[in-house]
Amino acid sequence: MSECHFGLFGLKPAFELDLTELASRYRELARAMHPDRFADADAREQRLAIERSANLNDAYQVLKNPAQRALYLLRLEGHELPLEATVKDPEFLMQQMLLREELEELDRLDAVAAFKQRLKQAQAQQEGQFAACWQVPEQREEAERLVRRLQFLDKLAREVRQLEERLDD
Amino acid sequence: MALLQIAEPGQSPKPHERRLAVGIDLGTTNSLVASVRSGVAEPLKDAQGEVILPSAVHYREADVVVGRAAKAAAIEDPLNAIVSVKRLMGRGLSDIHQLGEQLPYAFVQGDSQMPYLQTRQGAKSPVEVSAEILKSLRARGEAALGGDLVGAVITVPAYFDDAQRQATKDAARLAGINVLRLLNEPTAAAVAYGLDKQAEGVVAIYDLGGGTFDVSILRLTRGVFEVLATGGDSALGGDDLDLAIAHWVLAQAQASTDLTPSQQRELLAQACAAKEALSQVSSVTMSYGAWQGVLTREQFVELIDPLVERTLKACRRALRDAQVEIEEVDAVVMVGGSTRVPRVRESVGRLFAREPMTDIDPDQVVAIGAAIQADVLAGNRSGDDLLLLDVIPLSLGLETMGGLMEKVINRNTTIPSARAQEFTTYKDGQTAMLIHVLQGERELIKDCRSLARFELRGIPPMPAGAAKIRVTFQVDADGLLNVTAQELNSGVEASIQVKPSYGLSDDEIARMLTESMQHAGADKDARALAEEQVEADRLLEAVQVALAADGLALLSEGERRDIDEAIAKLITVRGASQSPAELSAAVKYLTEVTDEFAARRMDAGIRAALAGRNLQEIEE
Repeated sequence: MSECHFGLFGLKPAFELDLTELASRYRELARAMHPDRFADADAREQRLAIERSANLNDAYQVLKNPAQRALYLLRLEGHELPLEATVKDPEFLMQQMLLREELEELDRLDAVAAFKQRLKQAQAQQEGQFAACWQVPEQREEAERLVRRLQFLDKLAREVRQLEERLDD
Repeated sequence: MALLQIAEPGQSPKPHERRLAVGIDLGTTNSLVASVRSGVAEPLKDAQGEVILPSAVHYREADVVVGRAAKAAAIEDPLNAIVSVKRLMGRGLSDIHQLGEQLPYAFVQGDSQMPYLQTRQGAKSPVEVSAEILKSLRARGEAALGGDLVGAVITVPAYFDDAQRQATKDAARLAGINVLRLLNEPTAAAVAYGLDKQAEGVVAIYDLGGGTFDVSILRLTRGVFEVLATGGDSALGGDDLDLAIAHWVLAQAQASTDLTPSQQRELLAQACAAKEALSQVSSVTMSYGAWQGVLTREQFVELIDPLVERTLKACRRALRDAQVEIEEVDAVVMVGGSTRVPRVRESVGRLFAREPMTDIDPDQVVAIGAAIQADVLAGNRSGDDLLLLDVIPLSLGLETMGGLMEKVINRNTTIPSARAQEFTTYKDGQTAMLIHVLQGERELIKDCRSLARFELRGIPPMPAGAAKIRVTFQVDADGLLNVTAQELNSGVEASIQVKPSYGLSDDEIARMLTESMQHAGADKDARALAEEQVEADRLLEAVQVALAADGLALLSEGERRDIDEAIAKLITVRGASQSPAELSAAVKYLTEVTDEFAARRMDAGIRAALAGRNLQEIEE
């Protein structure tokens, strides 16, 4: 299966996706290849079903999440992003540091909820910018910068969830 | 056959081909077996008309009894009458010492880290004890349905880790049961509930059983049951409520906490009775030795609230993992006998700001859901209208430098799942690498469960950092992990089905199987030959059906010729050979020759799933 994640879902590579439609296609595909459909089959087919289903689940995870989807789109075009490398985006880095400091100060769940709201807005804004520029060859550098920003924000969102867990203790 | 299912989804077998399959709820306190008959899933009764089988096993002088009589013997004969054995499944001796006082058994160390219980019939592993319960349920199923079972769906707590799942599967193997699927208990409950109520939307299943707690958040969409997240505690249940009462009694009576096994059993039985009574009345009188006192419902609530709060915390975490807000939950379903406690219902209702549903029998719903799934997997019912998409409850990972756990598959990832991670050697000329597989959420390996260790050997000597070692984790639909490691430059490979740390070794299972089978060893070769013949017939039929359907479309002439040759060869060997090894080789050969064809057919089936959709959208 050399098909790309979008092709698997019968879609053309795109950043803006109808998530409800994606979910519905996922369910159709899962029905066709889930190991439960092959419970009675020989060992080889069961193995194939597990491999295909695992691949489908992985593809769905990537396409569902905007940050991962953006990264995947650039990779499809043959651009491996060295995410750990120096980030030439001082303005955003500064913003990140401030956000992170703010997060560390939070000690109440309602304050976390407000922070989450702002984070969501920031994500939506970066996503909008990425959607507008990723296909334009001259703006490749900008697209890469936005993908890195999205990864940062995604990571921050995970940290927010971990904080919520700690505060719940 | 599955190949037919691809070509013609929705086809169901003729009535006379109906295959007997059951769903088994192997609980801490009680177990049930259910089956779909005449389109209705219902629990099967024993000869006395009882549905519930207490999960108790009594090793007597001459025989083994399971159920009510065994449970009754627990006070008189605690070392030989085993109850709540599920709490020991897949655990090591050190875990059990942590649970400590509540387990009045004589433990001995086995070959592996799995603890054995010393009984008058010898040392028994928790897996063997569970197998006795399963044997009893299997016999009930065969008697009620009138024939041999093709298999069973066995439920496990969603929060069971890999070792606990593997132990359950081993127990089924010992009991002579073909496991069609290990199914998570809350998912089974969701199936029974969802089909019964024609429910759609987001559903939370709160499952507080005798020894385990699970919460699962699911999205139900036209027959697809998609688990969004699961959480829980595989060592928290009704038994712990009893224990809280027992501790309170001992404190009130100012009695020694150093009890004999009989005293422990008696006190716990009294505590359990008090707990059950307090669901109806506001206070109960309890006594211990010379002490007598009253336990009020208020006092009881105070005793159990910390435990209930632990379950609520797990609910909040599952909601966060599912990225679902409380207001989005359309229904909360209560499962498990312990949800009869009014305080539990109240607290859950408050958290979700809605009345939990209690109109489905909390003791039977899991077995009923398992029976429905067993019916689908046995091929009696079109799988087209029902699909369960489950997740792994705990992250899986590897030990990295500094005693840290690096996650490879995160918790609440949909299964089946496969992920690979690449590592390298850190010493010049390093020829082996230790792979330590872990499960859990914490960063330090000592806080995670060690599932297995194995070594990748034979790496060609290279400078440090030059070797490329890819470790692949694959989790199947039972939630069981398989790990393979490969050095990419040389192709050197090592793989294990994860189990050794806390499971039974293959040798132990083989020994137990031998011991448990009366005619064991007599004609091992004949059995092996028969098994190979079944496999050969199955493969031949599948390939011929596939060729008839898609041979022309998907194969070149040359490919077709190779396959026909391999078929002819297998038919000859199947007819003439008495050697299992020879037959196995011919089966393997035909499998290899048809591998590519099978993959093409499956991919064609998958493409067909999207057919009828907007075709111009399909990528060129």
